[in-house]
Amino acid sequence: MTTTGTSTERVSADLVARVIERLRGVLRPDQILTSKTDRYNRARVPAPFPVHRWRERVPDLAVLPESTEEVAAVVAIANELKCPVVPRDGGTGLTDGAVPLRGGIVVDVKRMNQVHELDLENRTVTVGTGINMLKLNEQLATHGLIYPDDPASYPCSLVGGRIGTSGWSLIGARYGHTRDLVLSFDFVLPTGEILHVGDGAGGKISKSSSGYQLKHLFMGHQGTLGIATKATLKLYPKPEAELSPFWAFDDYDAAYRFTGALTRAGVATFAGAVLFDEYKVAYLRRDDEAYIPQPADVRALTCAVLYGWEDEVRVGGKRLFRIAKEHGARYLGDEISEGDWAARHDRYATPLHGRTKTGQVVPMSWHCEDAAVNYTNVPAVTKAWHDIVADLRRRTDVFDDWGMFAYTSADTGVDYLTEIDVGIWEQRLDDDAWSMWVKAKRDIAAAALAHGGSISACHGSCREGEVDLVPRELGRGFDVMLGVKRMLDPNNIMNPGKYLLDFAYQGDVSAQLAELRNLP
Amino acid sequence: MSYRYEDENTPPEPQRASEVAITTHEHVYEVDPRLMELHVLQQTFPNWDTLRIMHARHDHLEWMHHHFAHTTVTGSELIAEIEDPR
Repeated sequence: MTTTGTSTERVSADLVARVIERLRGVLRPDQILTSKTDRYNRARVPAPFPVHRWRERVPDLAVLPESTEEVAAVVAIANELKCPVVPRDGGTGLTDGAVPLRGGIVVDVKRMNQVHELDLENRTVTVGTGINMLKLNEQLATHGLIYPDDPASYPCSLVGGRIGTSGWSLIGARYGHTRDLVLSFDFVLPTGEILHVGDGAGGKISKSSSGYQLKHLFMGHQGTLGIATKATLKLYPKPEAELSPFWAFDDYDAAYRFTGALTRAGVATFAGAVLFDEYKVAYLRRDDEAYIPQPADVRALTCAVLYGWEDEVRVGGKRLFRIAKEHGARYLGDEISEGDWAARHDRYATPLHGRTKTGQVVPMSWHCEDAAVNYTNVPAVTKAWHDIVADLRRRTDVFDDWGMFAYTSADTGVDYLTEIDVGIWEQRLDDDAWSMWVKAKRDIAAAALAHGGSISACHGSCREGEVDLVPRELGRGFDVMLGVKRMLDPNNIMNPGKYLLDFAYQGDVSAQLAELRNLP
Repeated sequence: MSYRYEDENTPPEPQRASEVAITTHEHVYEVDPRLMELHVLQQTFPNWDTLRIMHARHDHLEWMHHHFAHTTVTGSELIAEIEDPR
């Protein structure tokens, strides 16, 4: 189903040669990479996929620009010669935004990692989008400041990728998510023109009512509308204190009720809560050293995290502990509370394995499907998703259910990033298993929509499977997406093949869209 | 590090930690070797390297705390303050 509206046409060798020749006029030789290792490594993302099809995702060349002007020159050449361009930042996304589907040029922004301006009075920093948040925060800490955008890929993702995916932050309930923390940015459009976008005039303005609110349009597009090159970010005082208590429950329902109570408490330093379901706790008790010793009646967990001045954190923390007592929560202790929270900033570095149905250990890669779900619908979506993965597991050992988390997205607890972690035995992920997985992904997305949710709170929804349901989720908004894409990218060169946006170039597609919207 | 090669490559006698896990060194948990016979093969691993990895993990977590905040307030402190507000 997913191939509807897409083609797999690749760039010809002749066009690649002409592109390289032209690029030599705007970049130094060391900025143009054509070797096999340079290209294959830039086709790699963390989401498991059929490895025997890696060749299909490899770009024809990669470039390493060092300024907005160089990015613009590269994109202008690509547009003129009609060669695909795919922006790549950390390459840590889970919906294949950085994967080239038609070859062409990968624009790797890593060399644009400078701090251009630190404004201590207005509390902003302007950076190249190739900078990583951890490295940025090491510099900001010397001034007592922090840029609190905190994905699970914190040590390895880059500011530009956070813009391109409109990222979600673990501590977003306190500080906001990427869309709230990025004030403005320079952006290269698919024609090579340079745009500065923010609220109103952009720059260091955090709120303007002047004109259309274009900033959000150029965030979360998965590289299909252009490339962010320089961004101005909002800064906060580095927290004086952190508190991250973990509580245990006999059953999921009690942990769920407690999580809701925590988020509704209105504690100002509250930065987030995480609900671990019974499958997740069973998985951790099987394979995580912190949880192996836990008694059998620990079946579901809730953790909360607070950041701020120490006196505020202590007062807020005591309020949460009083709520915990009222809900019969059992505090798991300081060591596991602190250790597990610290590990949440860095989930991409964890070596993983899964089990066959007979219990034998197999090497598995981690994959995570997410959705945005309202609090009242989290239990129903949780059950539906486990049923879907259980059906996969019955049919093959390639998939292993590693349980679910629900993370607060907002300070009021209105909705949750709901995620199911699935171990995938990539060495056995043949075409049949991949088809099963794509169908499961579509079913997972459909379950979220059926419960009033959104397909993704964090990752994006342009990967095979879930992408089929985007026209249904967005309704008339998807037609607007097609119009915007056609207007801004007349030659469909910017990350082509993603988000079903090829439809923008195919005339009347109302029948195809109706078919997608009526998928079971 | 031990003087003898065999000493350094022989972990402490394993203790059962759960139906599927054992412990060797204190705080070091491992999957029961009987579950790693078909698809994942085990290798000899020196004691010093096992302990280095464990300590490095602890160092990393400690570093992460300080990276995000200057101090860490513990839950046990707050429980004590709630139970005895003096």
